[in-house]
Amino acid sequence: MSVREDIWKIYRESLPILFVALGGGLFSGIVLEGLTDSVERFPGLLVMVPVFLATRGNVYGALGGRISTGLHQGLIDPEFEYDERLVNAVIASLVNGIGISIFIGFLTWLVLSVLPGWEAAQLVELVGIMFFAGFLTSFLMIVGLLGIIFAGFNYGYDPDNLVGPIVTTLGDIFGMLFMILSVWLVGVLL
Amino acid sequence: MARSGSSLGSWQWQRIVRNMFPLLVVLSGIVLIAGITLEDAEELLNEYGLLAVMVPTMVGMGGNLGAILSARLSTRFHLGMTELDPRDRDLWANILAILALAATVFTAQAVGAYIIGFFIGSSLGLGTLLFISLVSGMSLAVIAIVFSFAATYVSYQLGIDPDDTTIPIVTNVVDVFGMIIFIGVSGLVLGF
Repeated sequence: MSVREDIWKIYRESLPILFVALGGGLFSGIVLEGLTDSVERFPGLLVMVPVFLATRGNVYGALGGRISTGLHQGLIDPEFEYDERLVNAVIASLVNGIGISIFIGFLTWLVLSVLPGWEAAQLVELVGIMFFAGFLTSFLMIVGLLGIIFAGFNYGYDPDNLVGPIVTTLGDIFGMLFMILSVWLVGVLL
Repeated sequence: MARSGSSLGSWQWQRIVRNMFPLLVVLSGIVLIAGITLEDAEELLNEYGLLAVMVPTMVGMGGNLGAILSARLSTRFHLGMTELDPRDRDLWANILAILALAATVFTAQAVGAYIIGFFIGSSLGLGTLLFISLVSGMSLAVIAIVFSFAATYVSYQLGIDPDDTTIPIVTNVVDVFGMIIFIGVSGLVLGF
């Protein structure tokens, strides 16, 4: 194959996935634009945004990769039923996803308190926002990711090609939506 | 309990958490730099809200491009093609494809942001948006390419499966560059 044909093949295969990610990114950007108004009330909020979005990708990309490998190896079935491997993978992603969210709130508070010239909201506020956002996003990501991977697998799609775009898109959109909801919730509760 | 635990092997949840949580902590520390850059640009974002709309894509897309290239490179290495020869046409095809994808996606991002601008009320013209998006995006694509090559090569030399650690680290590091470059280019163009 000529170089030009090779380039065209890679381009054609990857472009749809990147457009899905672009759509999710722009939508979550609109939500982020709304969130910038709350920074005055909760200094440190914007610090947490990229970290929170990145961990969604890290935790659920890993879960998706694991499920997809498990399906390929025949270790798990593509159905929502009790399966010890599936349950363990889901519990691990909940512990990782919620645990790291709490850690992000703490780390942001710590770094901003130490850095000269920066101010941070109260520890309980930043951790609270991250906890609610992490908790809500985790449940939605698990159900959404498994549902789409299983459906795709049953229809004959390779789950390896589905995981990346699903995680990026769902993570961006619902990560930001649940973050804005958590900011409101913490504002009301605390 | 002990027996069922051992038959689960690498699927045991305690084991998954123990292996992964430390990596997540390190990655959070890396991406925190992007967060501080973002919060530092709060005034710029308040003045030009449309820039905030572009932030998640700028942060995520470099990582996506890097992940596509890293996955292709690591498959190459697994298949035994371990030489990185600058005369290799297949390598150049990969690089040029990534650059073509970046040019397309970042053009589309500027157009998408411009359309969103009608709804949220923005003073940024299409030309300015295209300039910011393409200059940041193409610089980012080059960084993603360099890091993907370096990471795949190094992890192959060290005998680590790139899927486990290298790709997450590369995509997160590239995320940070995405934010710094985007905020830097926007600040320069808009005179902040």
